[in-house]
Amino acid sequence: MPTSRSSRIRVLVAEQAARRGAGVGVVDVCTAAVAALPVGGAGLSAMSRTRASYPLCSTDDISERLEELQLTLGEGPCVDAFTHGVAVLVPDLRSGELQDCWPVFADAALEAGALAVFALPLLNGAISPGVLDLYAQVPVQLDTEELADAMAFADLATLVLLDAQIDETGGPAGDGAPKGHMEDLGEYRAEISQATGILTVQLGVGIEEAFIRLRAYAYAQGLRLTVVSADVVARRLRFSPDAEPTRTDEDP
Amino acid sequence: MNERLLAKTFVELADTLVADFDLIDFLRLLTDRCVGMLGASAAGVLLADRDGELRVMAASDEQVRLLELFQIQNDEGPCLECFRAGSPVTVPDLLTETARWPRFAAQARLHGFGAVQALPMRLRDEVVGALNLFRTAPGPFDPVGTPIAQALADVATISLLQQRSTHRSTVLNEQLQTALNSRVLIEQAKGKLAERHNIDMEQAFTALRSYARAHNRRLSDVARALIDDTEPLAGLAS
Repeated sequence: MPTSRSSRIRVLVAEQAARRGAGVGVVDVCTAAVAALPVGGAGLSAMSRTRASYPLCSTDDISERLEELQLTLGEGPCVDAFTHGVAVLVPDLRSGELQDCWPVFADAALEAGALAVFALPLLNGAISPGVLDLYAQVPVQLDTEELADAMAFADLATLVLLDAQIDETGGPAGDGAPKGHMEDLGEYRAEISQATGILTVQLGVGIEEAFIRLRAYAYAQGLRLTVVSADVVARRLRFSPDAEPTRTDEDP
Repeated sequence: MNERLLAKTFVELADTLVADFDLIDFLRLLTDRCVGMLGASAAGVLLADRDGELRVMAASDEQVRLLELFQIQNDEGPCLECFRAGSPVTVPDLLTETARWPRFAAQARLHGFGAVQALPMRLRDEVVGALNLFRTAPGPFDPVGTPIAQALADVATISLLQQRSTHRSTVLNEQLQTALNSRVLIEQAKGKLAERHNIDMEQAFTALRSYARAHNRRLSDVARALIDDTEPLAGLAS
């Protein structure tokens, strides 16, 4: 089987981190995306329905300005991408229809020097921690391959962003992500999502934190996420708010 | 073939498409009807993600979901072959195919399946997935059932483009991405509901679907409301 898109993207991002001499962070996703796609810059904002949204990183002044503008004005492709959970692709900001859509943002973005903007939501089911924004100083269309790459960068950004919170929630802290941490990236298994839902009840936390805790446990134990998830779904492994997870060896 | 059930199924599918439409719910309905109507013991739908890799999007039961996953993981089996060739693969007796798919044939037998039919989901030139019908007993597939199953697969393919979208782009791989994410969302909600009420995943799915139907809402909207705790959702799974 050929190398999957997600592993290729993962390598590009890891190379940026290595160049920086640090563990993989969201900024590496941004710089790698700019290098790989026909765009001039990228920025990433943490978004939330319940808390304040804030910019996390940007690769240049224009992308920094775009993030600020959208979060301050509460309008723009990034806001729409977050609200609707879909990619918002704007090959040319000068289109009249867009001026109606985002009356203030469209002009301000043009003034800042952006002509094309692409907003990719960071998504994993109900977990939506932010948006990746790409911009270009000339009108540009992303072709099918480029769009698929852009979405793969956003998928990776989702996990990098969530894993950055692991040390805050009792998982392994330290520089960068634990070893093998991206192994399960391309892999989708229903059990991972089901286990995440189960943990919201066992831990009494929101879906995002449940997912972070599930991943943190897998790293700490050196287990694959799919294995831990299958144990949770089979009720062989139970999490609790004030104690370490407990394992029962027999099936219920 | 029960003609009344066939007519009812197409009406039901058309209804789902016209109303506020949820792809995952729709695909599950499709697999259930393949079982109820076409004499299949089980059915599954696989769709390709943006990397062209297949994902299980709906399955009429857990056995068939695992068997579909097995094919993907082992990179062999009728569904993959159908997807790659873009043409139907019909195997009336899996025992005759142990050389062709050694691992799959053995695994299918373990799950109690003796025959399989895989039908491509095509959209113009692009093959986007496959509808798979499994039967416990070996034997030829009903020649009347096959075109009907293919018609169901075609309706499912068209439905991909029907998904309600509020955004500017209607790129197919974005639609698929949205569908995949909706699948993740529903699995998360199943986990939460199952744990809360001490029921299994299938019961949780049924509860979510019944609630969505009874309240005329999209399955993924109900799933999200459950996860975000934004609504009481009275009567769900009780």
